[in-house]
Amino acid sequence: MSRNALLAAVAVIALAGPAAAQNRVTIQWQTPNLTEAQYEPIWKQTIAEFEAANPDVKVEPILVARRDHWTKFVASAQARQAPCVVAVDLTTAAAEGYLRPMDDLWAKEPASFRDAWAPEMLSAAKWEGKLYGLPNWGGTYAEVYNRELVEKAGLDPKNPPKTWDEYLRWAKALTGPDRWATSILGGKTDTTTRVLLTWIWGNGGEAFNADMTEATFAKNPKSLEAIKFYLGLFTKEGVASPAPTTTNYLEQTVLFAQGKIATMRNAYWSIAKVIGDNPAIEGKMFVAPMPANIPNAPTLASVSAHSISQSCRYPEQAWRFIKFDMDKKWAIQRAVKANWMPLRRDLVNEPELKADPMLAEFVRIGANARSYPLPHPAWADIAVNDIVDAVQKALLEPARTDEIFRDLDVRVTRKLRQ
Amino acid sequence: MSNTTTTTNIPDRSWTGRGLARERWHGYLFLAPTLLFLAAVIVLPLFHAFWTSFQRIRGLSSTFVGFANYVRVLEDEAFWHSLRVSLGFVSISVVAHVLLGLLLALALNKITFARTALRVLFLTPWMVAAAVGATIWLWLLEPQFGVINYILQSAGIISAPIAWLGTPGTAFAAVTTVEIWRGVPFIMLLTLAGLQTIPAEQYEAAEIDGATTWQKFRHITLPNLKYLLVVASTLDIINVVRHYDIIGIMTGGGPAGATEVLPALLYNTAFRANRFGEAAAIGVLLLSMVLVFAAMYLRITRVGQEDDRR
Repeated sequence: MSRNALLAAVAVIALAGPAAAQNRVTIQWQTPNLTEAQYEPIWKQTIAEFEAANPDVKVEPILVARRDHWTKFVASAQARQAPCVVAVDLTTAAAEGYLRPMDDLWAKEPASFRDAWAPEMLSAAKWEGKLYGLPNWGGTYAEVYNRELVEKAGLDPKNPPKTWDEYLRWAKALTGPDRWATSILGGKTDTTTRVLLTWIWGNGGEAFNADMTEATFAKNPKSLEAIKFYLGLFTKEGVASPAPTTTNYLEQTVLFAQGKIATMRNAYWSIAKVIGDNPAIEGKMFVAPMPANIPNAPTLASVSAHSISQSCRYPEQAWRFIKFDMDKKWAIQRAVKANWMPLRRDLVNEPELKADPMLAEFVRIGANARSYPLPHPAWADIAVNDIVDAVQKALLEPARTDEIFRDLDVRVTRKLRQ
Repeated sequence: MSNTTTTTNIPDRSWTGRGLARERWHGYLFLAPTLLFLAAVIVLPLFHAFWTSFQRIRGLSSTFVGFANYVRVLEDEAFWHSLRVSLGFVSISVVAHVLLGLLLALALNKITFARTALRVLFLTPWMVAAAVGATIWLWLLEPQFGVINYILQSAGIISAPIAWLGTPGTAFAAVTTVEIWRGVPFIMLLTLAGLQTIPAEQYEAAEIDGATTWQKFRHITLPNLKYLLVVASTLDIINVVRHYDIIGIMTGGGPAGATEVLPALLYNTAFRANRFGEAAAIGVLLLSMVLVFAAMYLRITRVGQEDDRR
């Protein structure tokens, strides 16, 4: 090679290197789950394979604890610096203008891709007719039991309680010294609200009217009856673990993993958490529909969707990453390893998913579920502040339950109509 | 006459006229980087907070609403509840900080054995980041698996686990105790420094006069520390009234608002309820309270300096 040719080659390399680096864009990705141990290997692999397939995009995960997730997102969104790809309370974020409508990107996709999502699933990711997210995983709530404790109490795991009377009989049998049947969730997160809603729906009650302009926690007698029964498991019956006002998902799963409580109302993802806390419990749990006072009572299905923030400078790259993350491969891994239920309807017959009997049962129970969060811009505030405060007050002063939930109806109705 | 002539021949070096103006400009020039920095990190955010408090913010859009946010905040029972909680929290914490800090300082001033090690040991809560300390206490107080309940049950003091953060009374007591644990070393350090400035001759003279330990404390130690204690208390009030970290981590303001001090209400209003305008109004009201104590502090220190000059 002549000296001139060598110099030319060096110059080309020197110029091309920085040019390629300049063309590479960085998109940030923030969800409340990236810090969860069971998901970490999956998302790391997802990013690695995406970056290998898309050398022009670098994905930077934003690791933030669940409790600080919304705060960090809002702070960055207010500064017009929000991560490109986010999983947040979709309705609230869309109503606040923090998210970018995705209809244009969605419309460009082939029908084969779009058909993977049922229309009712997509409707959970819409606000005022626009698509603001693509649902990627969910969780159906059901009753999870510790088989060993059930058998020890002389109860039949093959015949779990179907009504509240039966549930109470089981709960009394499962309660003993330093051990309780269940936990009441009253901590300051929206998990408290999720579980409360399942009890209300299980009694044929409603927390809101049909168009969500009025709260009916106390106004609807069935709702109030359900609230009293549920909270009464702690305040009246003594079959629930102590300190409900500080009990959240974390405490509940720890108590269950340690055998302190025999049953918990939770989603499929709690199974991975419990096994992570106590590997010895694997294979010793079973799941059943939530006991209810009405036939075919609906359960709650939490839907998590990936959205693109309004301040994202690279929506096309963000959309590419969202699509990549929605791939069957990752959905199956999330289901098998992190116990997150896939929401693509074309995965129903995947052998790996059908092989897990517990997942199959959750899917069966989820056939009759209402999606969560509820579609109102003030929902995040109502779910975490107002409803939780009322639950805490009623747990501390059970004699005032009626009054507390009447006040809640007034307060929440005012917010719904603002 | 000759003196006058001599004076007029000397170049103008006095602090008047052009020389002073030039010197002043140099001074401002050297101060400029610091002033610009302070403006960026204090004045602009403060101005932005005031501006926000007059807006109704919905996501990325805002509307000017004048004093409507202040009216809403002041009409809301939650604000007055938080103010009462704040007053209780600050009063108990500051009184305990000063009393325990003084006692510890008096003890450490006397002790000669392992003095340095003990000082470091007592300073530890102050050196640990508040968030870390609060998280440690959160787990110590955990009802089922916490060490505190385990010790109390093992000693037969309690028969069943106590949900320390689960009921209003115990939750308030718990967060106040942790605040006291964290804040005592600061007062102790200041008081210890103050004790070491008291001339030993005063105590020697009192001993010759047959004064008791209490009399020496009452008539020598306390009068000498009076100014320092008032300054330390005022600084402590300003410090504690703004605290959010311990409560944010341990209770988030719950249960049922029992520990929702004003900074917790501000946080919850901004980031849980997404009402930034009202949150900014709470912030401005909180700032005005802090300014009252800051003015007190400035007045006390000015009077102290004048006393020193006399």
